[in-house]
Amino acid sequence: MNESLLFYMVAVVLQFVIGLACLMIKRDMVRLLIGIEILFNAANLSFMGFSLQTSGHIDPFAHSIIMMAIVLDGTVIAVGLAMTLNVYKHYKTINIRKLRRLKW
Amino acid sequence: MVIQEFSITQLPLPLTILLLGGLFTPILGSIQKRFRLKRIREFWASIVVALTLYSIYLVNQQLESKQVLVVYLWGQSPPLGGSFEIDALSIFMSGTIAFLGLLVVIYSSKYMEKEGRLTEFYTLVLLMMAGMTGIVMAGDFFTLFVFWELMGLSSYVLVAFLKSRWGPVEAGFKYLLMSATASAFLLLTMSLLYGMAGTLNFAYLASSLRGSADVAWMTITFSMLIIGFGVKSAIVPLHTWLPDAHPEAPSPISALLSGVVIETGLYGLTRLLFILFEPDLFKVTIASLAVVTMSLANIWAILQQDIKRLLAYSSIAQIGYMLIGISTGTTFGVMGTFLHVFNHSIMKGLAFLSAGSIVQKTGTRDIQRLKGVGRRMPYTTFALLVAFLGLGGVPATNGFISKLILFGSAIGAGMPLLTVIGVLNSAFSMAYYLRVIKTLVSKPEKESLDVSEAPIIMVGVTTIMAIIILVTGLFPNILIEMANGASESLIKGLDYYIRALIP
Repeated sequence: MNESLLFYMVAVVLQFVIGLACLMIKRDMVRLLIGIEILFNAANLSFMGFSLQTSGHIDPFAHSIIMMAIVLDGTVIAVGLAMTLNVYKHYKTINIRKLRRLKW
Repeated sequence: MVIQEFSITQLPLPLTILLLGGLFTPILGSIQKRFRLKRIREFWASIVVALTLYSIYLVNQQLESKQVLVVYLWGQSPPLGGSFEIDALSIFMSGTIAFLGLLVVIYSSKYMEKEGRLTEFYTLVLLMMAGMTGIVMAGDFFTLFVFWELMGLSSYVLVAFLKSRWGPVEAGFKYLLMSATASAFLLLTMSLLYGMAGTLNFAYLASSLRGSADVAWMTITFSMLIIGFGVKSAIVPLHTWLPDAHPEAPSPISALLSGVVIETGLYGLTRLLFILFEPDLFKVTIASLAVVTMSLANIWAILQQDIKRLLAYSSIAQIGYMLIGISTGTTFGVMGTFLHVFNHSIMKGLAFLSAGSIVQKTGTRDIQRLKGVGRRMPYTTFALLVAFLGLGGVPATNGFISKLILFGSAIGAGMPLLTVIGVLNSAFSMAYYLRVIKTLVSKPEKESLDVSEAPIIMVGVTTIMAIIILVTGLFPNILIEMANGASESLIKGLDYYIRALIP
């Protein structure tokens, strides 16, 4: 493994763990959406790290994928924020721990 | 194996029709508002889905002599550009999707007529079906991911469609949170595959990674694939969103979600597993997931008091049966899986649609309060009864045929224990199906619910589906042949699949 790739992968793993921890620990629904955004960005960073591995040039394929992935996760977050707004209308709070009216 | 280029549309024909249909629906909605016409959107959606079904038939005819059809996206070449690869499995899955979609759209023209925002509803339904069709036809992982997100986004919004109540909104947010996390896992898997192979095209991935040494990276990829696709297809440790989201959605959407969306997730898992790994590598893992999924889901289902929630748990159990076929890794087992996908889409679609008719008429989802409804709504209850018997695997319904093949294939692959657990679960599941049937047909109490039979369109759709279940249960040969072709193209046709792109 190339040395720069190692740094990239360490960063990816750290970021992924931070995102998952954010999803598990935080109670604020907006922060949960930010956690998802962190997860997506970890994956994007991983693409970027791998794109540097081809000797001689930077692979543009990974970059085009990152562009599309940013758009896709942006739309997911937009829908999530719209739902958060609707949750606030019904529950008067955006604390995820209060969303327990449905049974298991 | 001849490479086919569609020079006009750049996309496979069924996908083009669905996408254009979805995009034109808002225009028709505004025309309807302006000129005060009636039912134009319902009519349009039905026409679009019927045309899709016909175009799938056309594509199938083109496929007859060749093994794989390839469509290049924007004329790019495959190692880097996107592409669609259509084989018999894609045709089988997209046919299932369009067939159930047609029935559901016709049903919802009556069911949803009192709701507002119908323009959005039909746009989202068509786009969700476009997403699923794109997934089953995709030729590279990133194309699959784009359509995966299209399907996901439409289904999040459709689950939370009745936003004036608290239930759908809460269920929708839960669904979004879990599915989006799974999508992030998929994206990370894609990046790892890209790092290993330098491309995301399925054919190139198969030729470079299949059969490679069992290194740590492949194990990580495997587990992340299971997480990524497993959330959408509700494999048990990852199923927690499903029993909330499916009951809270409007009934036609529940039918689509349970009937085809989770199976599309299963399709993705199957395609990727067979492309990347030899069957021996994933046999044990998938078999143990199958056992856990069906056993736990059946136990949970028996505890439910809510009829739609019971059906949702039953869907999870059926996913467990389908996993049996994948875990065998043989053509016969995978044939059983995809036959069960079709049969389950009809059975569970029918169960949700007729349960939806009953829930709409009576206004309650509590099974205890539905006592004696069967005497007031005989046709709907008959359809529900056929669906339940099919889900339980009673002979003369199509559920029996596919379960027979699935359990038989497990014996053939040398896993008799899996068969025993499957049969026990199947028998156990009759307990909750029969409980619902008994409640529905038993004598009504004094202050019984004052209900009448559902409208003619809804009764018509459910009756047709009940007849399909019985007919395909008695004469299953054509379906078995089609499912066999699909599974052979997945396992034996892998060489064709690879050589269609790599000369």
